[in-house]
Amino acid sequence: MTNPPTPEPSPQISRREFLLRAGAAGALIAGSVGGGLALWQRRHFVPGFQEQGGLHLPSYSLAPDKLLPEMAIAHGADHEKVVRAAIGALGGMGRFIQKGDVVLIKPNIAFDRPPALAATTHPDALRAVARMVLEAGAVKVLVADNPINSPAGCYLKSGLLAVADELHLDLLYPETNSFAPIQMDGEILRNWAFFEAPFKRATKVIGLAPCKDHNLCHASMTMKNWYGLLGGRRNQFHQHIHSIVSDFALMMKPTLVVLDGMNVLMKNGPTGGRLSDVKPMGTVVAGTDMVAVDSYGYTHLLERDIAELTYIHKANDRGLGNMDWKQTRYKEVQA
Amino acid sequence: MTRHSQESPRPGRKPFHRTKVSLPERIVSYSIVGLLAAIGAAVWVAGRNFDPGLYSLRAEALKSTVAPDERLTTIQGERASRPIGDPASNRNIAPHTGGTPMPPDQTDSPDDHEAAAPAPAAKATAIEIPGAKPMGDTEFYSPDSLYEKIDGRAPAYIEFHFQQLRTRSFSVPDSAGSYVDVYEYRMDSPVNAFGIFALERDPDGKPLDFAADGYSGGMGFYFRQGNCYVQVIASDQKPATMGLARSVSEHLAKAIPADDAGLGARRRLPAQGLVPGSVKFTQDNALGQAFLKDVFQADYNFEGKKISFFLMATTPEAAAKARESFFAFSGRYGGKAEALPDIAGAKVFEAQNFGKWKLIYQRGGELGGVLDAQDPVAARAFLGKVLDGK
Repeated sequence: MTNPPTPEPSPQISRREFLLRAGAAGALIAGSVGGGLALWQRRHFVPGFQEQGGLHLPSYSLAPDKLLPEMAIAHGADHEKVVRAAIGALGGMGRFIQKGDVVLIKPNIAFDRPPALAATTHPDALRAVARMVLEAGAVKVLVADNPINSPAGCYLKSGLLAVADELHLDLLYPETNSFAPIQMDGEILRNWAFFEAPFKRATKVIGLAPCKDHNLCHASMTMKNWYGLLGGRRNQFHQHIHSIVSDFALMMKPTLVVLDGMNVLMKNGPTGGRLSDVKPMGTVVAGTDMVAVDSYGYTHLLERDIAELTYIHKANDRGLGNMDWKQTRYKEVQA
Repeated sequence: MTRHSQESPRPGRKPFHRTKVSLPERIVSYSIVGLLAAIGAAVWVAGRNFDPGLYSLRAEALKSTVAPDERLTTIQGERASRPIGDPASNRNIAPHTGGTPMPPDQTDSPDDHEAAAPAPAAKATAIEIPGAKPMGDTEFYSPDSLYEKIDGRAPAYIEFHFQQLRTRSFSVPDSAGSYVDVYEYRMDSPVNAFGIFALERDPDGKPLDFAADGYSGGMGFYFRQGNCYVQVIASDQKPATMGLARSVSEHLAKAIPADDAGLGARRRLPAQGLVPGSVKFTQDNALGQAFLKDVFQADYNFEGKKISFFLMATTPEAAAKARESFFAFSGRYGGKAEALPDIAGAKVFEAQNFGKWKLIYQRGGELGGVLDAQDPVAARAFLGKVLDGK
């Protein structure tokens, strides 16, 4: 009978080597945990899976004035003079913009079309509004939109790039990381990708929209203009377009809206494509209540029956504005 | 005797204890750790640039699973075979299948039958214009992606069975900052291309000498050629810009094969008094009626009054059935419909709805009539002349 062989003792490791190995393992674990925490996004936005949370836009509107008009309508032939007359009738740009403000102007440049076709905000309108904003003491003017077509092509062909170069405005292009989910309790818009980047800097917001026919919702004016701040596959809202356009009156509380009706795209909108689609109307409407402004635009610029414009009724019924523009304090002037 | 446990090494063999890690093994290990770190970094970067629209459902994309994609066949006279059950294959006028013979002048014209054939599909080729300098690549859009180019305007095109958009911009050599945009919308058939062309037509446009269905209008050229509706839009009205727009239009009109399939019924519209540029085409639910399909409609000046006239060419059976349905509908909602004596072999009824008059006839496979007339006497006189062939 023999004794079983005794295993050889394990080779000893030194204290130094033990500490090194333990330290390396600990650092790896700590690095993994740290990396995981860094990558973990509590508000990671994947539709259907995201937590209900997101950006809440502040109101950019001013406290109502008991004396000055809520809406002004200006008529004339010279684009800049008419814009100035409309805003002047509201009390001037100084009512809305103070020294040091960073002002976001949101045009509608959804398409890469030339200005004469009236499918986009006209460069003369941007020039006039931006000049007034700068004259009022703003330190910076931002111009931002998330167009349907290539942003570079839209800024170039709409003529807004040239105005931005001329007046040293900051054109903001939508980049992938310019968006964050917005959270709101809209009729249909609740949690969606939103062009957030301009709002990180802006202290005041001005909507500057053309007045035009729209194949799906009858008209694109100041309320519909905010559609250009959404990201993602926003066309899926087209089936509920009146609901979402009325939601924009809830989403955005701008400082001022300007509806450019100097040349109105009367048919084949929103793209147009022919000069015959455009009618010179020589009018600019400015105001603090975009429901009222759009109501005027639909009846007096597009010359249609307000009864058919569902989104105006929705916004009015939800208390987001007054579609009976004659009941607001308004002023009509000739430039 | 005590049995050795299985874990115990066999006599004479040393237990395995690693005391040394080879260099290749270390390299592999570090590589794996490095790779994991790189993957982690990539996930971090991707997370920072996350596209919120990436995972949203695009329901319209599912349509592509319903029928095979035919968009990659050629344009040069090649006929794509449309799958059985595709509604578009049954869209055109049904062939005459016996029964009461149709009068010779009401038999479907050859091009009507041709319209029943599947439309040629275009190859996804770039728009090339000799001598013109492109500002970028040609963009292509399908029915699923058309909204990415024209957004809310897309449904109007899709109603006319839009197939593909090719679009490209060209700079104007002699005019800095000027450009010409080309939009070539290809529909499933010439008659549908005519439909969308007519829907957007400028009634005051000047006719073109290089395309029968076309006009120029201030800042561009617009025409229908074959199954394509082409818009060539200038950035301004400078002579150099408009000159390039014209030469581009002429080039495209020559390049697209002429085809008037399905447009035969348009030629049956009365010629006298026709308001130029007023002819329109509606494929489905014309005048809001499901029984009215492939309808041409036009305006006329008749004895100082404006008359709106429509015409649908089909089989005699279908025309008779449509007339009965129209008669029944016209008598509803407070309307008054009354059959009149036949005129020149045509069955005729008259109806008054909401203070306006309509006068409808059916002769063989033809259903047509006057719509929304303010003056019933003028409507009767106009229809009498049409049916008498005057």
